[in-house]
Amino acid sequence: MSLSNFLYLRKSIILCIFGMLFIFSGEVLANKGLEIALKSDENFDGYGDSSSEMTMELISKKGDVVTRKLRFKRLEVPGDGDKSLAVFESPRDVRGVGILSYSHKVEPDDQWLYLPALKRVKRIASKNRSGPFLGSEFSFEDFSFQEVEKYEYEYLREEELDGILCHVIERKPLDPYSGYTKQIVWIDSENFLTRKIHHYDKKSFHLKTQIFSDYKIYNEAYWQPHKVTMINNQNGKSSVLSFREVKYKNGFDDRDFSQNSLKRSR
Amino acid sequence: MKFLSTIVALFLLNNIFAYEFLGEVILDNRYFLNEGTSYQDKIHSSFSYSPEIFYEEEDYIFHLKPKIRKDSQDPKRNLLDLQEFYLLHIGEEREIKFGISKEFWGVTETTHRVDIINQTDFTEGFDGEEKLGQPMVKVSLEEEWGVLDIYALFSFRERQFSGQEGRLRLPLIIDKNESIYESSAKNKRTDFAARWSNYYDQLDIAISYFSGTTREPRLIPSGSIDKPLIPYYETIDQFGVELLYLIGSLAIKVEAISRAGQGDRFSAATYGFEYTQVGIFDSRIDLGWIFEGNHDDRLKSSPTVLGTRLSFNDELDTQILSGFIWNDVSKELGFLLESSRRVGECCLIALEGVYFEDTDEDNNEPKLFEAFREDDFFKIEFTYYL
Repeated sequence: MSLSNFLYLRKSIILCIFGMLFIFSGEVLANKGLEIALKSDENFDGYGDSSSEMTMELISKKGDVVTRKLRFKRLEVPGDGDKSLAVFESPRDVRGVGILSYSHKVEPDDQWLYLPALKRVKRIASKNRSGPFLGSEFSFEDFSFQEVEKYEYEYLREEELDGILCHVIERKPLDPYSGYTKQIVWIDSENFLTRKIHHYDKKSFHLKTQIFSDYKIYNEAYWQPHKVTMINNQNGKSSVLSFREVKYKNGFDDRDFSQNSLKRSR
Repeated sequence: MKFLSTIVALFLLNNIFAYEFLGEVILDNRYFLNEGTSYQDKIHSSFSYSPEIFYEEEDYIFHLKPKIRKDSQDPKRNLLDLQEFYLLHIGEEREIKFGISKEFWGVTETTHRVDIINQTDFTEGFDGEEKLGQPMVKVSLEEEWGVLDIYALFSFRERQFSGQEGRLRLPLIIDKNESIYESSAKNKRTDFAARWSNYYDQLDIAISYFSGTTREPRLIPSGSIDKPLIPYYETIDQFGVELLYLIGSLAIKVEAISRAGQGDRFSAATYGFEYTQVGIFDSRIDLGWIFEGNHDDRLKSSPTVLGTRLSFNDELDTQILSGFIWNDVSKELGFLLESSRRVGECCLIALEGVYFEDTDEDNNEPKLFEAFREDDFFKIEFTYYL
């Protein structure tokens, strides 16, 4: 073996080791990110079903407030995503409009819209999830259940947020139709509850900040935030979602989330 | 009906506080650009009021919604109709609806081919989406294999046509009082219908069957000079199929029927797609594209529609739907505009415009929009929710 060959080989080996180290550490961070996301998701294991009444306040840049009301219920589907039904109560012109969603772990979600004036059920493309929900700063995507399998993770750091020690992880949506390129998520280290999310748009601009607060525990097992605030950093508007009448284990089954149940949801 | 009323009354008195009272008042003004072909007025206004009562228990829903409409020019456009007056029982395995109700079938946006349960109120608008309540017993089974709805339909409802002073009508007057039926039971014939629907991943499918008095009468000469046409309601049977397939943001839609009983068996279909672009030009605005083509064995040519739907996604839920209708054989062109936005928390304002143009008056092809030649209009509709 000539000297040059030997030097070349040594260089390759060193590069290789560095490369492996780099990949290895990347994998460790990815695994740690995923681990935290899984732990956070475990909070919902076995919740069965839940129902709540929501009030959404849309706050303009000037501080004007308009209010929307809706009813929401959800069913755990073991081995798959969840089923949910949202029914609008106000404003009056959309009263009785319902959205039935079957979320899936990897495949696109199934979604139907019910229009009571025409008594029509309409299948809607779940790919359009990045659009605003009821004119608010929340998108349909922010509203749907965020399955762990739908993201790729990286662990960033530990950090204190309002006196609570949090894990900060980055997640990238795998769905090419997502409205976001990445999200930075603050998850507390005690109960693994999501405290804050920074949403980055297609140009990697920090578009929206979402804050989860007023957590309460139900049935000694399930943590529920009673206030979720979404601040749009671009247009200065914000939307505040408040939850009332939260109930777990209502005894719902598939029939409460069927096509017929959507038609009588009003 | 008396029996039903008694049951409903007894049932409701049970718990007077569990009701929900709602309703809407609609003021509608139509401004036509020209006088009608029979010199009808240019400005037509109407007022309608629909109070609504809901009552819900664990296994029962009661719904009452009458509709009252008064028109300024055309007495034939006045209406008193029970849109909903039913009791729905929700069982473990099935639902039973007993009373008057509306049922929608279909997937397309511009023409509704398979929708047949309810009679159309054509005096309201010519999209055919305004319906009259239909007395029925409906049983709905929902299982792994899909939803099966079975209907017995009682007491036939006649189609509403504009009168002498009305607009958007045929030049000849239709005499509703002289309607003829093929069935010896006349308008008392009990009709049957069934529809199965299910979804498989990205595909929604429905197959339906109807046997009974046609909702779409043929107009035949009456021999009278004042009212030269009368509706003829034949007994038909009709098969329908509805398909909707999603590929990402693209929805492909087909509706088709095959009907026997009105001359030779014929087929008709509407097919097309809807494609939505979310957040165009980095804004909140969604832009939807709608294309729908038509086929009808009975007609020499059928129009094609190309439209766009702009959803502004603002607090006022502003929407603008606009489109062209083009008939390639008769060379007729129509332009449609529909827009709406919320006013405060109580109200909705809607603007609508329709314009027809015959781009080639010299051809001898049958003209589809000939009757509406002078009926270009725009409309302002104000809805107040109670």
